Amino acid sequence: MIQVEALTKIYHVPVKAPGLMGSLRSIVDRKYKDVRAVDGISFRIERGERVGFLGPNGAGKTTTLKMLTGLLHPTSGRIDVAGHVPKERKTEFLKQITLVMGQKQQLIWDLPALETFQLNRALFDVPQARFDETLKELVDLLGIDEFLHQPVRNLSLGQRMRCELTAALLHRPHLLFLDEPTIGLDVQVQVEVRKFILDHQRRTEATVMLTSHDMDDVAAIVDRVILIDKGNIRFDGSLDALARKFGKGRRVVVRASKAELRPLGFEPDERGALVVTVPADEVNEKLHAVLQLDSAADVTVTDPPLEEALTRAFGETEVHEAAS
Amino acid sequence: MIGAMLRATPTLVRVGFARTIAYRAEMTIWILTALMPLVMLALWNAVAKDSPVAGYNQVELTRYFTAALIVRQMTGSWIVWMLNWEIRSGQLSPQLLRPVPLLWNDAIWTLSAIPLRVIVLTPLVAALVWWRPDLVAFPGWPAVGLFFVSVFAAWMIHFVFQCIIGMLAFWLDQTDGLFGVWFTLYSLLSGYVAPLETFPVPVQHVIRFLPFRGMMATPVSILGGFVSPADALPDVGIQLAWVATMLVIARFVWRRGLARYGAFGA
Repeated sequence: MIQVEALTKIYHVPVKAPGLMGSLRSIVDRKYKDVRAVDGISFRIERGERVGFLGPNGAGKTTTLKMLTGLLHPTSGRIDVAGHVPKERKTEFLKQITLVMGQKQQLIWDLPALETFQLNRALFDVPQARFDETLKELVDLLGIDEFLHQPVRNLSLGQRMRCELTAALLHRPHLLFLDEPTIGLDVQVQVEVRKFILDHQRRTEATVMLTSHDMDDVAAIVDRVILIDKGNIRFDGSLDALARKFGKGRRVVVRASKAELRPLGFEPDERGALVVTVPADEVNEKLHAVLQLDSAADVTVTDPPLEEALTRAFGETEVHEAAS
Repeated sequence: MIGAMLRATPTLVRVGFARTIAYRAEMTIWILTALMPLVMLALWNAVAKDSPVAGYNQVELTRYFTAALIVRQMTGSWIVWMLNWEIRSGQLSPQLLRPVPLLWNDAIWTLSAIPLRVIVLTPLVAALVWWRPDLVAFPGWPAVGLFFVSVFAAWMIHFVFQCIIGMLAFWLDQTDGLFGVWFTLYSLLSGYVAPLETFPVPVQHVIRFLPFRGMMATPVSILGGFVSPADALPDVGIQLAWVATMLVIARFVWRRGLARYGAFGA
């Protein structure tokens, strides 16, 4: 479905010294520097996959997404998306894809969302009967019926995002590119949006590519992760494989007497549970020791949080950017 | 592609009109800013009190500036500011993901504002006719037909040129200043502030082949009956040549611009 080979994007960015002298100098002697946002990456995504494209700010993930949707032209390399070269923006290509950008909107600000839906029906040349059917389905699933006729400017952020999703899916695209789809939303709406995206993907078997700084989005939606950093791919594999590669081991969480568990290496976490992280091949041994204790209860073994694996993958200095 | 564009057009007109109505207060103010011909009429009317100016008596000047008022309203566009903002803010991106060309969408929206313009214009023209009933002179049906061709060409030159300047936002920080220069030249050289016959004859010969004349004086001359349809045909031809030239330039700039798009956090 998506095939990318040696994809590179270099931005030619003007640089200017600060202050008045810098401004004056830039008039006669404008300087530029090349910023290599994406540096020869290659990957392949099959039909129906749900892929998270993750990395710190400036890693090149949004640039890649925009090249895959034809918004940006690559400096070099080859992209094939559903048999098309994205930058040519052929009608057949555009009808197969959608891009939801959490920080940009396609809804017409001063008109009811329904007007944008009608506009998209016309622009994507969707037959009326199919449009009515899809709209009804999306309106029911996203619960937007009651504010369809209100001007977009009067909607809350959560209501707006649900309408954005509707506008983005009315032409029944096979490929969903989601760029920070839950940014700025409250927790409840985030959960609803994630659930909707996952349900939609399962019903339509669409291919999903997601960028997000929210690890809950990633954990809920994707089953494969591509990590990108400084324009290069650092990891490509399943969430489990990511945890195994960059996680320190598995977490054993127990409720029991603190005094009894301390000698076994357990420490309280931020929620008060007692936790120890051990290599996978030592889990049985640790469990055996815990179960000997009279006070042991609620023993669970989990993978370390995704943030932890990413933190290790990107290095300590990028903790905040990767997980914020 | 063309079939899809045409099928989309009725909805584009309907949504465009809905947008115009949603912004009706701003639109009305916007329309009223294009009433310069009324100011110029008052001025030239005073100058022509004793003798004709450049061959125009007071009644003809009133007819000229009434026609100028109509042409100005029919050819107005805001696309330069729209494109400039969309490119610089990255708001162009959602539009580029739609299969119908963005400029077709914007062109239809601009034309959808014409009914509101007619509503604002009608009482003004009615007042001028009430003031000077003899300004009304029916130029004949061939002239009316040619006027519609000419005013549409004038609108195209305005619209496409504004698109070209707006698209320069792919390269420049601000294109408003550039549009200011263009608008000043347009005001002077199109017949917007004075009939072009007020210029010396050699200058008139040069102006004839610039795009500005086709944006105002050509349709005004036809509607006002200052030139016969047969005599106006070469000027309409010049207008159409400029439309074609602008379209070629716009296509070139758009393609080059899209290849650059993205340096703004698109």
